Amino acid sequence: MRLWIRCAWPLACRSRPRSRKAVAAVSLDSFVEAIDRLRAEAAGTLQTAADEGALEKARVNFLGVKSGQLKELQKLLSGLGSDDRPAGGKLFNVAKAEITATFALAQDRVASSHQSGVQNAEAIDVTLPGDRVRMGHLHPITQTIRRVQEIMARLGFESVDGPEVEDQWHNFEALAIGAEHPARDPLDNFYLAVARGADPLLLRSQTSTVQIRVMERRKPPLRIVSLGRVYRPDTADATHYPMFHQVEGLLVEPDVTLAHLKSVLRFFASSFLGGDVRVRFRPSFFPFTEPSVEVDMEWGGRWIEMGGAGMVDPAVLEAVGYDPDKVSGFAFGLGVERIAARRYGVADIRDFYRNDVRFLEQF
Amino acid sequence: MIISMNWLADYVQLTGVSVPAVSLADMLAERLLMSGLNHESTRAIGDDTAVEIEVTSNRPDCLGHIGVAREAAVLFSRPLHIPDPRPLEAGGIAAESIAVEIRSPECCPFYLARVIRGVHVGPSPSWLVERLATVGVESVNNVVDITNYVMLECGQPLHAFDLQKICGGRITVRRATAGEPFVAINHKTYSLTSAMCVIADSEGPVALAGVMGGAKSEIAESTVDILLESAQFAPLAVRAAARGLVLGSGSSYRFERSPDPAAVEWASRRAAAMILDTAGGVLERGVVEAGTLACSPVAIDLRHARVAQVLGIDIPQPRQRAILAALGFAGLAAAGPMAVGNTPCDRSRWQSPTWRRDVSREIDLVEEIGRIEGYDQVPEDESISAQPVELSAREQAIRIASSVLVSAGMCEAITRSVVNEHMEATRSPWSDGMPLSIAPALVRGADRLRRTLVPSLLEARASTLAVGAPHGELFEVAHAYLSRANPDVPLPQPRARPANATASEESILEEPLLVSLVTGGEFASAKGLAEAMLLRLGVGGDRQSPAVSVCVEFRPLELDLFARGRAAEILLHRQTQQGERIGVVGEIAPAVLKRFGLEGPVAAAELRLDRLEWAVGVDRLLQQPSDFPAIQRDINLVVDIAVPWSNIVAAIYSVSHQATGLGHTGNDNILEECRLVQVWKDETRLGIGKKSVVVSLRLRSHVGTLSGEEANRVIESIVVACGQRVGATLRS
Repeated sequence: MRLWIRCAWPLACRSRPRSRKAVAAVSLDSFVEAIDRLRAEAAGTLQTAADEGALEKARVNFLGVKSGQLKELQKLLSGLGSDDRPAGGKLFNVAKAEITATFALAQDRVASSHQSGVQNAEAIDVTLPGDRVRMGHLHPITQTIRRVQEIMARLGFESVDGPEVEDQWHNFEALAIGAEHPARDPLDNFYLAVARGADPLLLRSQTSTVQIRVMERRKPPLRIVSLGRVYRPDTADATHYPMFHQVEGLLVEPDVTLAHLKSVLRFFASSFLGGDVRVRFRPSFFPFTEPSVEVDMEWGGRWIEMGGAGMVDPAVLEAVGYDPDKVSGFAFGLGVERIAARRYGVADIRDFYRNDVRFLEQF
Repeated sequence: MIISMNWLADYVQLTGVSVPAVSLADMLAERLLMSGLNHESTRAIGDDTAVEIEVTSNRPDCLGHIGVAREAAVLFSRPLHIPDPRPLEAGGIAAESIAVEIRSPECCPFYLARVIRGVHVGPSPSWLVERLATVGVESVNNVVDITNYVMLECGQPLHAFDLQKICGGRITVRRATAGEPFVAINHKTYSLTSAMCVIADSEGPVALAGVMGGAKSEIAESTVDILLESAQFAPLAVRAAARGLVLGSGSSYRFERSPDPAAVEWASRRAAAMILDTAGGVLERGVVEAGTLACSPVAIDLRHARVAQVLGIDIPQPRQRAILAALGFAGLAAAGPMAVGNTPCDRSRWQSPTWRRDVSREIDLVEEIGRIEGYDQVPEDESISAQPVELSAREQAIRIASSVLVSAGMCEAITRSVVNEHMEATRSPWSDGMPLSIAPALVRGADRLRRTLVPSLLEARASTLAVGAPHGELFEVAHAYLSRANPDVPLPQPRARPANATASEESILEEPLLVSLVTGGEFASAKGLAEAMLLRLGVGGDRQSPAVSVCVEFRPLELDLFARGRAAEILLHRQTQQGERIGVVGEIAPAVLKRFGLEGPVAAAELRLDRLEWAVGVDRLLQQPSDFPAIQRDINLVVDIAVPWSNIVAAIYSVSHQATGLGHTGNDNILEECRLVQVWKDETRLGIGKKSVVVSLRLRSHVGTLSGEEANRVIESIVVACGQRVGATLRS
């Protein structure tokens, strides 16, 4: 088998046999004259070439491989009589070496003038736009979540996720939300048409479900951040959307107090907002924490509601098999859209879900 | 809940607590805010001030002025005055005027009625009109206004019936029958369900229990005799009616939160006394009662040391006790030997007041002490120990995939997890099962949990291009929701207590984590992005040798989402395992593009990150680059058009991994790279059914400089292998 193997680079190096054309007879005198004329012309042009463009033009003209003037002269060689041909060849080679050397000199000259900037080379308009690379963008909600994750990771909180379709146990019962609690109303939840036996399934209404799942699997100490989409049947308006994102933190260890919660949230607020940010607790009510508080952070001289928090209710610890006399914990939840809206000046949270590239490209 | 400052002053005198430049209302609002009653707004109304507060669902006691006054009294250490109305009973015997029967005690544990005869229904006195106006309630007439007033005073809703319109001398509290009609005070007719509870006379419902009175028995100018109802209604029945009929009222709002049981009797007395005062009439003797008042106060033990253990602040025991006592908690004889006389002890026993049914455990007492003492006392410089933490494999996989696509200039979208029928019309690459549906719909029409993200991204692309965005290159990382393939498999029973099952074992559905993208381009553009993600995740690459245990295969796929013949499934082969589908890629079918109003070509790819996340955990060890020079050779192979590129690559690599008899070790892969240069077809030059595939090969050794001769031998053996395996001939 015969191989067709060629050098790969440059690809165009492959040589093909060319058809020979008959060349008209030329006298040595006229050949010498042509050579002298070319040498003079080349010297003049190359020595005055002001920039790389002119130089390149001259190179193609004189030294061009396909149809440069030297090439044309070389073709004339074959038109010389056989006695004149060695002399003509010699002359040609000398001329070629001279022009090549002149070109190299001119090249050096142009390059150095280029470097020193002395020559009045055609200046480019430096205000013209560069060849920009189009960069993509992470959604501002994702960026906010990552920021929260990163700050909490510095405190040893690990990010976890869990299923979005949940059962009654994880979404309500284990979180101490009893059957009579208004939060379980079918109108306040997205229940699935299918059920597991008698247990209706629903889209989770909070990411606390993930905390229950983690506590069921692991023993304290525990530091986790659960995050993801949650669903509540709110009519969409500037501050509500039936699908939104939550980040919830949970810490369960021996001897944890409300003071630890406040300190962690102050660390978070200072890291997230920058500077030494004060945190304020207002008493509140959530079924799965006791005491429960609303968390305000001081932002721009005002108290801004950041989310809910509290000490994990002993009933929740018991539900996952922990002993509330031996370990205690705290939990907090942040509404990602609310933080992101404030951070980026988004007045209508529906904008986060329009997926308009003109919006997304700003973050 | 709106508080009238003038009204509040009836129960607690706060004059003197405010400092200059801060109004009493602002001072109160601030203190209430910091103890659990959120401040909404403060408005001046005439000479009164309305302070609107938000009351959490556990505090029905603060849905009345007295409850808020009690909080204020505790916060400002002022005495609390609660009236003790003693209306004069003078008429006949109430029980002879009306009988009450409860047929559904689960909806109504207790019902109490009073009868007042000979009232003059008319306009309310101006003080009453003004107070109600401050709290945003319109005056109706003196009797109705008084029932509203007493509700806003103590949180217990009341209802007054025109006794003469009650037929049969008996009222019955029962569940409604399905479809039973009821004409409410608003003169609209409602169709009831058996989840709702009604007050009925012999002819039918005269009130929707705890929600709204009926038109027939409403108090009018002509009313002379009144039946005054004060009762306990169960939250669930009230909520069913209020929510089911969209008939929420101040009454239903309170009953849904279980008002103070002790207020049932007090409110009845209070309203009767006020009606006698303002509308005249004579109160019949006695009350008519049915059922048993649901009120079971519990004893709670408090270990005082727990306060510091939970709150992180030391509050002296006498202060703890004082707070509880001021809030209405009754100290009981404490259990155990520690409780001797009045000596402070480790443990004390308390009984909650009737209006604080939310307090039933030690932790609840701790919270009460904490919120009154003030959480501003809690320190914020407690340190926690350091702990190592790592990003989960899943989180890393998400970040790797996202960073590839962001680098490629794509924008991340977040689209709805729940889609409409139109969006779920095409099949899912992941399941043949029907989409799961939810109720209510997330937004209008969107009631199906999506099984792929691609249609959502197509919609997003169409909408952003429609508004003139510079491009519509979008991706998303989200879950899809698949019902289990075989619904006949018995499902695990729901658990009353947690077991150790994992989410996927117990769930009837699967939630694959997907990364999806749509791009304006042909198949290769989406495939290139998919390949880049796979490579970054650590599973891509063409090299198909036994030394590499993982390989990715693209295989033709027919799916109605994609154009025929222009889509592939991506299979992952791991050692002995069967190929697993980890992704799909293709050009969107013209019919689908049309449905979304998009112009083609548009290509999409979707990968299962949940099936790829393991790869990020695989250690990547340095492959030391060779310092010896490479030799680049191109070969032009002619093969049948049907031979796929993947087969040619496989044939080429079948040689390279073997020792080529060049004195190099067996592990020394001489073939460093195999790259497609071009494919072309030309019947006249190549023959019918043939194509030319130009492949660029880069050869390099790790142990020495390859000679041209050695390179030629490798290339020769590759060409031989290609001839044997894919019928390739070399084109010269």
